[in-house]
Amino acid sequence: MAKTFLGYARENGAIGIRNWVAVLSIMDNCNPVTRAIANAVDGTIPVTTLFVRGQYGRDLEITLDTLGGMGANPNIAGVLLVGLENEITEMVAKRIRPTGKPVDAVTLQPGGTINCIAEGTRRAAKMVLRASNLRRQSCPASALMVGVECGGSDTTSGLTCNPVIGRLSDRLVDDGGTVIISETSEFFGAEHLFAARAKDEAVKRAFLDKVTSLERDAVARGMDIRGTNPTPDNIRGGLSTIEEKALGAMAKAGTRALSGVLGYGEKPAGKGLHFMDAPAPAVENLTAFAAAGCQLIFFGTGVGNPIGNMVSPTVKVSGNVNTLRTMADNIDYDASAILEQGAKVADLGDGLYDYAMEVASGTRTTSEVLDVRETAISRFQPTI
Amino acid sequence: MPRAVVLHKEDNVGTLIDSARKGEACTLQGERTGSVPLAVDIAFGHKVCIAATPAGGDILKYGQVIGRAIHAIAAGEHVHVHNVESGRGRGDKSGA
Repeated sequence: MAKTFLGYARENGAIGIRNWVAVLSIMDNCNPVTRAIANAVDGTIPVTTLFVRGQYGRDLEITLDTLGGMGANPNIAGVLLVGLENEITEMVAKRIRPTGKPVDAVTLQPGGTINCIAEGTRRAAKMVLRASNLRRQSCPASALMVGVECGGSDTTSGLTCNPVIGRLSDRLVDDGGTVIISETSEFFGAEHLFAARAKDEAVKRAFLDKVTSLERDAVARGMDIRGTNPTPDNIRGGLSTIEEKALGAMAKAGTRALSGVLGYGEKPAGKGLHFMDAPAPAVENLTAFAAAGCQLIFFGTGVGNPIGNMVSPTVKVSGNVNTLRTMADNIDYDASAILEQGAKVADLGDGLYDYAMEVASGTRTTSEVLDVRETAISRFQPTI
Repeated sequence: MPRAVVLHKEDNVGTLIDSARKGEACTLQGERTGSVPLAVDIAFGHKVCIAATPAGGDILKYGQVIGRAIHAIAAGEHVHVHNVESGRGRGDKSGA
């Protein structure tokens, strides 16, 4: 029987697992006001960003699409934009309005910081009061779009947390949901296995092109990626090469067919398993998942990486018994029974899928409760 | 006894799931059985060589190539960045 959870139905039919009002910065100079408003109004989250001023071309388009995507995410009931001036603010607003959710804006010009905080606080409070009228209702698991990530990886990642997340990926795809795996560089050495799962030749070629382009770029720059990926903590955790890391990382995507290839923060057109071409570091990668519309993220960790996403609650899974002892405050799901007690990956993966429905219904994650959440949009060109 | 997981029949490394000391016999589980005496201390999560590998030979884990032996590696030795080299993203070796 397909799983269900209790979610929030949005104006466009999408389903949220949280009911937050987002206070969203249009550029870096707005962040202090965004934080002040979010601190003043319960039920909001601050979505800050760096740069934007002086960005242009494809780099600016991706940034504005990502900001708009986070506002459009179904976990967000309404959006208060905080801009410096009207023009760029409107470029983000118009990307969110098609969802039908409330979108409002305040700007620093001409009134300055105090007036902007005061007016923004008043408007955010109204949005939260309105959003709080909505009640959760039963929704099918197929309404979920899940991002799968790993960070602070070690050799336990490929043996425990990543295959456990892979089992959840298979279950969700089988139930008609959507899964996105990303971290392009972390396919170096495993891409032939993942490419073989592409639904057709075009998808296969698109996926391999993303991986080989990134590697070609590093090589053309004369770069030796060792020590950058795998990272120093990956190496301390026993991972010797990017190939070894990639073979373990790929396990998060389970075993189902690869349906499509996405750009940074791009929303999938259909259901099933997708690959997103985006940088591997967690904060910028999770930001891209949130912009694509993922309501929920599963994050496998070995030696430990606590960070979560602001818009998309992030479930930390570890199977490293030492990390579960030293960093227990930051782990949501314990997969250590695989190595310690010979438990089956499938059983822990089924347990994680049950837990996914709980988190989707309102159970909070460690990164939400401890507020260890951050936003960063990748840059693709220099600023002018 | 410390344990090491072997993921594929053809692999020449196992992953330690306990910290182990030189001279201890490491029990293999997963796709291999038996044990390998350890030539050095090996930390939790690190790899042990379970089949002698010549210089330049493939290091196999998951039944896949994860790198190349920088020099010959004997069974029982620690397999890591000091004796394994990645072949990917190596702009330093592109001959430029």
